[in-house]
Amino acid sequence: MPKKAMWLVIIFTLLFILGVNAGELDFLMNLGNTICLSCIGVG
Amino acid sequence: MVTFRWLIQTFVTLGTNSYLLFPFGSVIYQGPLKAVCHPGLNCYSCPAALLSCPVGAMQNFLASLRFTSPGTWPRPGVIVLGYLGFIGTLVGRLPCGWLCPFGFIQDLLFKIPCRKFTLWPPLRWVKYGVLVVFVVLLPLLLVDAYGLGQPWFCKLICPSGTLLGALPLVLVKPTLWQTLGFFFWNKIAILIILIVLATVISRFFCRVLCPLGAFYGLFNRVSLAHLEFIEGNCVECQACVRACPTGVKPLLDPYNSECILCLKCLDACHFRALDFSLRRYPRPAKEPYPPHTA
Repeated sequence: MPKKAMWLVIIFTLLFILGVNAGELDFLMNLGNTICLSCIGVG
Repeated sequence: MVTFRWLIQTFVTLGTNSYLLFPFGSVIYQGPLKAVCHPGLNCYSCPAALLSCPVGAMQNFLASLRFTSPGTWPRPGVIVLGYLGFIGTLVGRLPCGWLCPFGFIQDLLFKIPCRKFTLWPPLRWVKYGVLVVFVVLLPLLLVDAYGLGQPWFCKLICPSGTLLGALPLVLVKPTLWQTLGFFFWNKIAILIILIVLATVISRFFCRVLCPLGAFYGLFNRVSLAHLEFIEGNCVECQACVRACPTGVKPLLDPYNSECILCLKCLDACHFRALDFSLRRYPRPAKEPYPPHTA
């Protein structure tokens, strides 16, 4: 594996883990469970 | 390969939009899968969608960054950044060619027989502006009195949201009709324009406006999976250039950020001058043999 790709994989994996530990998974879940009014063009 | 890609696109589009209980239960799916982002552009407000939209999620994270109450961790959306960056580093823009439902819809639209046009190349830079302005800057900076921003790309542009989210929701939820206003009709107008353009110009939205494609495209030069050009086999027949749906010239620049790795060029090439392979660690060049001296 080239060094650049290896470092990017490590950095993005760490970011993902950081996000999970910061509670972003719950935020994502709540977000997905509500109707996005902006997507519809309301509000 | 073409048939296989069509099968994958169909399977992913239907598989990730397979919640069919929306007329009977909640209007949208609200299960645990919504904690996972789709690798392509797929509106999470689509009544049948099982997964979240990465672009919508990123905007909402940034829009609510200043709204964080004291004592809680700020949530800048690094989970989405990490997820998309990981995919991008592994396969570059391959999700655009194989997994994106809206890309699949554009592929179907381009099959409609009519006069076709080529894209004016400078327009491809627009999507980087859309990514920076509508997905990052506006949700982050344009906030209300409470510090809450809006997902401006979803609100003003996203045709996937209009086609897969807004139209089905408006149909199954008539109470929404009274609230439809300027933003809805603006998005309908954009959707119609983009459908017409996708019919005459291959993958118009992906090449000009898609912020997700712009993000994945940044990784095409470093991604593990990549298109390999074998110069010795090329006869410069340009078959790969004619087959490419995004206007890339694989024989000149196989790592171009516009390449969606659909691999149509591989099928078109009869001389095996192109290959889909994993990038290997560059080996040090061998030293040439010393000249033979008697």
